Amino acid sequence: MTELQFTLNGSPRRVADQPAHRMTLDWLRAQGLRATKEGCAEGDCGACTVLLDRGQTRADGTPDWRAVCACILPLAQLDGCRVVTTEGLSDGQGQPHPAQTAMAEQFATQCGYCSPGFVMSLAAIATRPERDDDSLMDALAGNLCRCTGYRPILDAARSLPVTQPRPNDPALDAGQQDRRTTRLDYTAPDGGRFVAPTTLDELAALRAALPDAWLWAGGTDLGLKVTKDGAHPPTILSLDRLDALHEVRSTDDGGLVVGAAAPYADMLDRLAALAPDLASYFRRLGGAQIRNIGTVGGNLGTASPIGDSLPALIALDAGVELIGPRGRRRVAAADFVTGYRQTVMAADDLIAAIRVPPPTPGSRFAGYKIAKRVDQDISGVSGCFRIAVADDGTVAELRAAFGGVAPRPLRATGTEAFLTGKPWTRETARAARSAVLEDISPISDARGTADYRKAVAANLVERLWHDTAGQGVTRLEAL
Amino acid sequence: MTRRGPVFAPDDNAAAPARARPTARHKGGVSETAPHDSALRHVDGGAKYIDDMSEPAGCLHLALVTSEWAHARITGIDTAKALALDGVATVIAAGDIPGENDMAPVMPGEPLLPPEVAEYVGHPVAAVAAADFETARQAAKLVEVHGEPLQPVLDLDDAIAREHYLLAPIVFQRGDPGPALSEAPRRLQGGTRVGCQDHFYLETQVALAVPQEDDEMVVYSGTQHPTEVQHIVAHLLAVPHAAVQVEVRRMGGAFGGKESQASLVAGLAAVAAAKTGRPVKLRLDRDSDMLVTGKRHAFKLDWDVGFDDDGRILAVDMQLAGQCGWSVDLSPGVLSRALSHADNAYYYPHVRLTGLFCKTNTQSNTAFRGFGGPQGMLAAEAMLDAIARSLGKDPLEVRRLNLYAAPDRLLTPYHQTVEHFRIPEMIDQLVASSDYARRRAEIDRFNAGNDVIKRGLALAPVKFGISFNKPEMNQAGALVNVYTDGSVALNHGGTEMGQGVFVKVAQVVAEVFGIDLTAVRATATTTAKVPNTSPTAASSGSDLNGMAAKQAAETIRERMRAVAAEQLEADARAVTFAGNQAVAGNKTIGFGELAQACHQARVSLSSTGYYRTPKIHFDRETNRGRPFYYYAHGVAVSEVAIDTLTGEWKPLRTDILHDVGSSLNPGVDRGQIEGGFIQGLGWLTMEECVWDAEGRLLTHAPSTYKIPTARDVPRDLRIELLQNAPNEEATAFRSKAVGEPPLMLANSVWLALRDAVHACGPGGRAAALDAPATPEKILRAVEAMRP
Repeated sequence: MTELQFTLNGSPRRVADQPAHRMTLDWLRAQGLRATKEGCAEGDCGACTVLLDRGQTRADGTPDWRAVCACILPLAQLDGCRVVTTEGLSDGQGQPHPAQTAMAEQFATQCGYCSPGFVMSLAAIATRPERDDDSLMDALAGNLCRCTGYRPILDAARSLPVTQPRPNDPALDAGQQDRRTTRLDYTAPDGGRFVAPTTLDELAALRAALPDAWLWAGGTDLGLKVTKDGAHPPTILSLDRLDALHEVRSTDDGGLVVGAAAPYADMLDRLAALAPDLASYFRRLGGAQIRNIGTVGGNLGTASPIGDSLPALIALDAGVELIGPRGRRRVAAADFVTGYRQTVMAADDLIAAIRVPPPTPGSRFAGYKIAKRVDQDISGVSGCFRIAVADDGTVAELRAAFGGVAPRPLRATGTEAFLTGKPWTRETARAARSAVLEDISPISDARGTADYRKAVAANLVERLWHDTAGQGVTRLEAL
Repeated sequence: MTRRGPVFAPDDNAAAPARARPTARHKGGVSETAPHDSALRHVDGGAKYIDDMSEPAGCLHLALVTSEWAHARITGIDTAKALALDGVATVIAAGDIPGENDMAPVMPGEPLLPPEVAEYVGHPVAAVAAADFETARQAAKLVEVHGEPLQPVLDLDDAIAREHYLLAPIVFQRGDPGPALSEAPRRLQGGTRVGCQDHFYLETQVALAVPQEDDEMVVYSGTQHPTEVQHIVAHLLAVPHAAVQVEVRRMGGAFGGKESQASLVAGLAAVAAAKTGRPVKLRLDRDSDMLVTGKRHAFKLDWDVGFDDDGRILAVDMQLAGQCGWSVDLSPGVLSRALSHADNAYYYPHVRLTGLFCKTNTQSNTAFRGFGGPQGMLAAEAMLDAIARSLGKDPLEVRRLNLYAAPDRLLTPYHQTVEHFRIPEMIDQLVASSDYARRRAEIDRFNAGNDVIKRGLALAPVKFGISFNKPEMNQAGALVNVYTDGSVALNHGGTEMGQGVFVKVAQVVAEVFGIDLTAVRATATTTAKVPNTSPTAASSGSDLNGMAAKQAAETIRERMRAVAAEQLEADARAVTFAGNQAVAGNKTIGFGELAQACHQARVSLSSTGYYRTPKIHFDRETNRGRPFYYYAHGVAVSEVAIDTLTGEWKPLRTDILHDVGSSLNPGVDRGQIEGGFIQGLGWLTMEECVWDAEGRLLTHAPSTYKIPTARDVPRDLRIELLQNAPNEEATAFRSKAVGEPPLMLANSVWLALRDAVHACGPGGRAAALDAPATPEKILRAVEAMRP
């Protein structure tokens, strides 16, 4: 197959002349569709937001439109999808979409450069009936505006009726649906390839045959190598069509299995069911556009020293399921990353899934992300804990994990040992300070100094105490 | 509230008779909340920015080659590998500039491309032109720059210690602070610091240069200062000013960052276009933009203040050390404005303010909304905070005590007498409407009962001087054309960057003609229509261009009045313009019909307009005069909470009362107030520029540089415009400038954070909290405050 097929703003498109690593934004703009802007080319500002329908439907039967950043979305990934840009939004009656009129009439634009991106995020909001202020801010956290101060944009979002981005469009036709269940193998004129296999066996064979290929999950990290460093992968092996890696399901025992290529957005509800703090922790990972594309598997695979998902998984005693030529095996989350940007994986291993066991009875999970900004910021320090306190007030069980304080996210075993069996009091929480400092070895960078990271990591144990046993107002969220 | 002083008629134009209010009023005149002229196009993609224009055939794209050294002598640039790449047209370096290699806005000495010395990491030393941007970027990596590293000065403290200055210090002085300080009953020495801020306009710097016939060049430039780009491009290319036309329809944000620094991008595109004879586009990607262009000046602010037992200031000796970066750029103006706002709203009986132009091997810091004013004001507020804490008083009490006051406490450190000072009444009004006293007590109770979360509350006034500090910049031109169908094309020197100057000036013109705003079309700003303009900066856009356009429109209207008098068989003095028609008694003629009649009668329907701000003067030798035509005022009360374990914080509520005179457009003005406030909140709390030990900027993209998001807006935000408060000075329909002043309302957030930190200790001293107050700085300040 040497051609990409998708539906753009209601019209079928066939593309065969683009490099395999071409990003959607660049292609759109080259087509003369220049409402969609580049603000950062790293998925952090939202000026390039478009809506993507991958043929999924929601419980109410409506298409599952997702806001995504076109700047780091490979064009080839549109194959078999519907895409809507600002130019294609419509109310179906020749008038602008309500997101557009609401923004224009309520002074929600000033310079206008971020506006098309906001309009698309608002159009995504408009597809969902459930809408409180917190969810609006979640939905807009991936869009930066430098002029308005956001208030009028939030007002515009609050005023939206429930509506589809293009009401009169036919849904994805059967042919397109079929495309998404068959293997895509796009070869660009320059020889570059974008291959999306549908089975793990196919993937294994491709990896063996194409050792230089880039394994591409959400691409929210890898995409930057293309947009920022100008790298040109010879082949992109996309995990997008591997149903086996997209599964998100609860297990019989109350645990959770998350396919490595499932976007964060697909697991938030189930995380919330597992522990409320878990969902609110993951909700601060990226903006909505990133969570709609980014994956836990990708986050683990990059083996970042911060890697916000790993401290939570360590605290939950989660397992990472790997598939390799020698079969499947499971590694404890705490053992997965072995050093700076290094993992236990062999070159031909694949992260298949994350397995989160059910919370042990009586235990409580708490996750903290400390950053300069609440939303869509990479942590300077993250700390995740699972604690169970015995009837006699002593710590029965503790899992503690930190990110951003060592070459890798780590389980703080010294801290755990220090606290386990001790009375769970403010004094012991404070006394754990030296144990925490033994466990960690932070450096200074743009996100914070080593001294700050030490101070906060140690204080997070006390923060945990306040959240489990403290009195009065102990959290900013309470205000 | 009751206003002091006379209330003026909305239009003081003597030539116009008092308007009878017509029954059918035109839509969109002054004081109406008319939407931004491009609002619909912003949201449907119809608004074209320079990068959205169709590239002319044969267009080349530029990518920059930048210095890896903070300071180095360039010994050679090897372009062979880059030129060998398919699609590469040329590489330009200093030697390719046909004219004068200088892009300095104020003082000569800032080469477009350095011939000898690279002065910072990111300093563009060459640029590659290729058929597409991707090729240009790949080729730029292949250009080899050879150099010998030189010793850099990277740090503000280092520059101060070495007296490493770009220019001699400036001093504002009144009275004799030395003896007054030594005789004061109480004396405090202290200081604070504030970091750089990146503009982070969503549209990065961009220019498209298109060669024309002969030596002419058209440059589409994302600039606040088309005239300066025109002049610099002409000098670079060694052609007359008249050979260069610079045009900008709109920018995707600017905030001062596209005042002087747009010249680099436009200049490089023009030089490459001249060399190749082909159109050339340069659009900086985000990382390049942040790495290459200057930011808001960081400052180290130190004071020595004497005061009495009540907290009344007797003498101030303050040093404001600005981090200018590698070149002068606009720093003289920035420092001058920092010094002229280091009083904010407070009277200093004896005062000396010293401004230092510290040179560092970093990006050349530049204009940014407030232009030094915010930093100067922050020094005043931190100092007042310190005085109050040393006395154990509520800072609000000490602030009130030190406000400018008639009759003999009105002279500023630059010897301008403060007139029409609205702050005292505004504070009274906001203290009442924000329920300050009750909340102060409630917060104190809360803090006594909670030791993890602490809340803080603070009020901050803003008095901001309006006019460019340089008197000669306070002039503007406009060109108004009425067509024979009654439609109006409006051109002026103001550039549209989102602030709404186009709609506001169009409202002024609509008001003069008595026609609907929809009949007035603002057109792209171009040096070909209105020459020799000042930058759209210093909040002056609507003041200056509004008056110039008003004059142009009035000139045409008076010509039309004579024709209308003939048509309506009435005395010219009896003709009024309203409701899209000229009216005399019970006779009317439609505005379009009248325009046609004028043309028939051979009466010109086109006019220029010109305006220069009256009353202002400033002696740059003595730093005395009246630099400001008037002051804009604002007051804000903010409440925050901090987490004393992590330093995280949260804005809880902000109340703002802001003075825009008689608003030309309350919707637009409110947008400026809210947007400015949030931008200021970002500056003072989360936006942090970090360089490594080699001078590399680490925060060069939104992944590492964090501007506020929707969640960072106080959930309870109450904004009021001061009512019934026409400008006492004769500005356009008695309005006041609004672009910059609201940014400093965010000082209240920073002061509230200091208040919350203060609550962590026994008191007696101010929180040691600098800006930006990141969680890290807050936690450090909390720990320093604990007993």
